[in-house]
Amino acid sequence: MVELVFLLPLLAGIIVLGLKKYWEFILLFTGLFHFLFTLILWFKPQKPFFNSYFALTSEGLLVLLITSFLFLFISMYSISYLKDVEIGNEQIFIGSMLLFLSAMSAVAVADHIIVMWIAIEATTLASAPLIFIHKSKKSLEATWKYILICSVGIALALLGSFLVALSMNIKGIDVPLSFTELSNIATKLDKKWLKAAFVFILVGYGTKMGLAPMHTWLPDAHSEAPSPASALLSGALLNCAYLAIFKTNKILHLAGIGSFSDRILIVFGLISIFIAATFALKQSDYKRLLAYSSIENMGIIAFGTGIGGIAAYGAILHLIHHSLIKSSLFLTSGNILLAYGTKLIDKVGGAVRLLPKTFVSFFAGFIGIAGFPPFGIFISEFFIIIGAFKKGYYVSVGIFIFSLIVIFAGFSRYLMKMSFDDFDYDIKVGEKITRIFPQYALLLASLVLTFCNINYLNKTILNAIAVFGGIHG
Amino acid sequence: MNDLANVILSLVLLSLLFCLGSSRLVALVYIMSFQGFVVSLLPLFLSEKITIGNVTFVLLTILIKGILIPIFIYFAVKKVIVKKELEPIIGYHASIFSGLLIIVVSTLISDKFNLPVNHSNLLLLPTAITTISSGIFLLMARRKAITQVIGYLMMENGIYLVGITLTNHNHYIVEFGVLLDILVGIMIMGIILHNINRTFEDVDTNLLRTLKD
Repeated sequence: MVELVFLLPLLAGIIVLGLKKYWEFILLFTGLFHFLFTLILWFKPQKPFFNSYFALTSEGLLVLLITSFLFLFISMYSISYLKDVEIGNEQIFIGSMLLFLSAMSAVAVADHIIVMWIAIEATTLASAPLIFIHKSKKSLEATWKYILICSVGIALALLGSFLVALSMNIKGIDVPLSFTELSNIATKLDKKWLKAAFVFILVGYGTKMGLAPMHTWLPDAHSEAPSPASALLSGALLNCAYLAIFKTNKILHLAGIGSFSDRILIVFGLISIFIAATFALKQSDYKRLLAYSSIENMGIIAFGTGIGGIAAYGAILHLIHHSLIKSSLFLTSGNILLAYGTKLIDKVGGAVRLLPKTFVSFFAGFIGIAGFPPFGIFISEFFIIIGAFKKGYYVSVGIFIFSLIVIFAGFSRYLMKMSFDDFDYDIKVGEKITRIFPQYALLLASLVLTFCNINYLNKTILNAIAVFGGIHG
Repeated sequence: MNDLANVILSLVLLSLLFCLGSSRLVALVYIMSFQGFVVSLLPLFLSEKITIGNVTFVLLTILIKGILIPIFIYFAVKKVIVKKELEPIIGYHASIFSGLLIIVVSTLISDKFNLPVNHSNLLLLPTAITTISSGIFLLMARRKAITQVIGYLMMENGIYLVGITLTNHNHYIVEFGVLLDILVGIMIMGIILHNINRTFEDVDTNLLRTLKD
């Protein structure tokens, strides 16, 4: 019963929307149960009930584990956060969070192309209330942009999915439209239409993933949403959109036209990294800064996947560590927002003195996201650079490294300003241990994954990237 | 059967031109309802034999595309008070002209595609491409947020046409999921529209320009 993994949060979400109290309890309990169930799926794979629509794949399991792990800690943070902040409607917020988890889990286990589409569109719909919750002018604008841009983008992905069907019909093959079946017959698919399908799917899901130039909704939505919601959007949702692109890319590789999709991924990845670097330099809002960093990291993941081999391994590693570190940073930004009451970098300072515990997670997160050791992003970026050199993409890797340096420069200036500036100010809401330990736990997870070689995880990643020539490809 | 299907497809094309030229929002909703209805009927005329599953799916599609979604948009329009769509970015006559141009270009393009679909003398593919492009055109050429929703809906109708052209009709459950998603999407857009109207006292997207870099 793999389907339980999304049916359970769906049910919990509906219950929350119907109940008058106990919302926090249901949220926490569902998060915990979801995580346990995910672990069961990892170590004792179950059979799906509708096996033409759902399946457990290595890459799906990875995304599911990240989502579930993040959700557990973000839900703990949310409960404490909701107590401190005046939010419009707590019930809708918690209910939507659970529905959002359900939709994302459905993406992770979906095997049918159209079911995947349905699940990804459902993530848009379930997360819209999370951004919208304050009902201020800015959050309205952000939600409108989010829904409209993502829906139109994903509509194009639906068109792309139909083109995959066409590439099958044209050759007179009749199998279900599932990724598993398509991989088996990939060589027989019509190549011309498969290429067209990939372009539409990349543009469609790329919109959702935040690849430039379709990223315009992302900074607005991430900065206007409450911090736990931003953490979920950035850490979990972007991965789900990437999963759809990854699976389609796999089909193209099996069909023997992988070089076509690789080239497109590299170009989109580099554009994203470059645009994010340019915009990150002149940000005045720290949540927007983090949002641009997400665009950059999604670009890095696309770039690594496009190069393949050890770089693809690096890309998956990057996905894991980015989710952990970026979520912890967004949660930390929630503490800063509560304390200073502003999102402007100029009006924040002296965090080291005023919020010492928050400062630790803030500083560590920034170091991690900038690609410094001892955090895992250092290793994943290193793998991607090695992979690019090995395959002779010298110009691309030049742009890549240049952009990384620019982003690091931009980041560290703001980090210093926010942490160490002299600042005479009484903070509004102080730190609480319940709003700190989730960040520490997420950062610690990243550290543990960097230093401990977990065989099981390693094998799953290698399985996922086997199509791209494995680690030596 | 092919002739009947062609008649229906021409009706879709006509409804597109009406949409592009209409300045009244209520009229636009009526035309969209008509378009949804007509598009949903198509599978009946395309399949060789009519089965119960077939008919049920067509009825469900009509319920969602032809009735529920238009009713929802209708109420959104009523609540938002504005009856008339003012100041389009591209004028109505220019819009109709662009619509005609899109039809011509789509017909030329779809001739090149050379699809092995058995109904080759159908207007299916040109209509589908035209519907998608006009939807995108409407999205970009109008300032009112409601018209953007209608543009999105039109685009979805076009993609639905592509879907019934290209895929086998064996996955009703899945297609029904797509329809439900679109329905919920339109509902959420309606709710946000209502809130935009209450907060800004208008639904002009020019007001939604504060967030930028």
